[in-house]
Amino acid sequence: MAIIEAADLRKVFRRIVRRPGIGGAVRALFSREYEDKIAVDGVNFTLAEGELVGYLGPNGAGKSTTIKILTGILVPTSGSVRVAGIVPYQRRQENAENIGVVFGQRSQLYWDLPLRESFELLRAIYDVPRNRYLENLAHFSAILDLERFLDTPVRQLSLGERMRGDFAAAMLHDPKIVYLDEPTIGLDVVAKEAIREFITRVNRERGTTVILTTHDLADVERLTPRVILIDEGRVIFDGALQRLRTEYGTHRTLVVTFAEAPTNIDVPGTEIESREGLVVRLRFDRRKLSAEAIIRRVMERYPISDVSIIEPDIDTIVRRIYVEGYQHGAVGAPS
Amino acid sequence: MTGAVEPRRRPRFRLEPYVEFARTAMAREATYRFDVFTTIGSFVVRVYLLRMVWTALYAHNAAPHELSRRAIITYSAVALLMGIVMDIDQTRALKDKLHDGSIATDFLKPIIVPFYFFADGTGEVLFHAVLLIPATLIALLIFHIIVPGPGVLAAFALSFLLGYLVGFFLNFILNCSAFWTLEISAVQLIVTWLTDLFGGELIPLILFPAFLQNFIYALPFAAMFSTPLLIYVGVIPPSRYFEVMGLQLVWIVGLAIVSTLMWRAGSRRIVVQGG
Ligand SMILES: Nc1ncnc2c1ncn2[C@@H]1O[C@H](COP(=O)(O)OP(=O)(O)O)[C@@H](O)[C@H]1O
Ligand SMILES: [Mg+2]
Repeated sequence: MAIIEAADLRKVFRRIVRRPGIGGAVRALFSREYEDKIAVDGVNFTLAEGELVGYLGPNGAGKSTTIKILTGILVPTSGSVRVAGIVPYQRRQENAENIGVVFGQRSQLYWDLPLRESFELLRAIYDVPRNRYLENLAHFSAILDLERFLDTPVRQLSLGERMRGDFAAAMLHDPKIVYLDEPTIGLDVVAKEAIREFITRVNRERGTTVILTTHDLADVERLTPRVILIDEGRVIFDGALQRLRTEYGTHRTLVVTFAEAPTNIDVPGTEIESREGLVVRLRFDRRKLSAEAIIRRVMERYPISDVSIIEPDIDTIVRRIYVEGYQHGAVGAPS
Repeated sequence: MTGAVEPRRRPRFRLEPYVEFARTAMAREATYRFDVFTTIGSFVVRVYLLRMVWTALYAHNAAPHELSRRAIITYSAVALLMGIVMDIDQTRALKDKLHDGSIATDFLKPIIVPFYFFADGTGEVLFHAVLLIPATLIALLIFHIIVPGPGVLAAFALSFLLGYLVGFFLNFILNCSAFWTLEISAVQLIVTWLTDLFGGELIPLILFPAFLQNFIYALPFAAMFSTPLLIYVGVIPPSRYFEVMGLQLVWIVGLAIVSTLMWRAGSRRIVVQGG
């Protein structure tokens, strides 16, 4: 059953254009010029209950705007949205009871209070039964290792500790859905790992539906079988991560270290990606040539001392889709 | 945009979160312990200075005839006592949150957001109200202020509460203007200045020239300080209690309406323009 439905979702921000200088300020008093910014441009998707989806895109793609509409704190310009049967912006408070949110750049914890006090406050806000609250707190403390800093004021926590606190805070009331907007941004490896583990377990053990916004592809590779890719407010891919890899990860890279500097490099079926001294990177299409054939071609022509093959990573794949865009035709926004 | 019209089911209202917000605000204020000493200290110094000024005026016979020297010192001391809670901008968190955009996180919670600011401000004020106990003792023991009968004291307490609410809504309206412009500190400064001058905190309004008085009573500031203070020192007799507190109530209702309209317009702007 679909728990989140977004259809033709659009959000256009209108902002006042300010001209520089005093002249501009004076002019602004009499006539205002507006500029429209299309942040979300006809987004469609549905999520089944219990899904874990990666919402991916470069900066400014419209990820946060979409999340804000889903949470009910932003009204879309047009289109329809339903979360657990509710139109979020029409019934903000009711929707708020169903969801948990973590914004990587913005803490929801109370700055001056110890972490534990923030949790207590959230218990009161969401009316979590005392038993359930203690159970959840113990459980999350164990996974996220919160015990050490539960009584420390939030302003004194490191970013990693604060984020772990934010995750627990978002989950204390057993929300049906959690929105995670770039939650691993700026974190060290240990904190990232703890948080990824937490996301996986919450999704698996509690059946919580999770939307994870990120531009860290490692998050996606670790966590989400399904990805929705957006760019300039449009969905450019929606499907299994594996499919993304087979359809767009068609090019591999052969890294060759030559024994002596070659005068000109010409290997049919490849193009030179980069060249640094004796190390040359050659790109080839794995559908047309096997690695073995390419290596043979290189060795026939030049004396070499080393070769290795690099598989396409998601980063490269995504960049390619951004560059080549929708006209590629292999994937369109699915309905 | 959407198919069927949703039946609007309001979530059951629970008081608990707001009690917790107030309690939390008190706990937060308690962490700034230094405030306690500065508040009491500056109270003592200011009463002492005002007593010097009034004493000098009385010595030169330049003082008003409506109030005795002791009455006017009482007036100043009680005004400064009231100031300990009245001078707090309880809802400045609204302005701060609009500035840094963190207001969004409050809208993510299943709460009535303006009630949150009210509860938070009340908690803060209640914490500072505790300071009234030592400050009042000082006023009684060192400055020998007059204590009126229980009837007058009760009327004063009620009028003080009404004055507090006038101040609350006035602050809230000012902080709401941060929905539209980030530059509100200048306006706030002017309002503070007007309150100091026309609220009667420093100089009893009855000492102002008659032509100014009409103007002063057309402003809400007198309802904050002057009314309860004049009740305390007996310038306003019991026969006028109904009238003066009725006027305070009118101000409260008027300002509450303006507050509601501004909050609605402001929060609509947030959900449409994204803050
Ligand atoms: N409140 C706003 N007013 C005007 N423009 C906005 C506002 N919020 C976002 N935008 C613009 O909309 C676009 C999408 O922003 P956002 O959803 O935050 O992107 P992402 O989260 O993918 O980085 C950006 O170009 C951004 O500048
Ligand atoms: Mg973002």
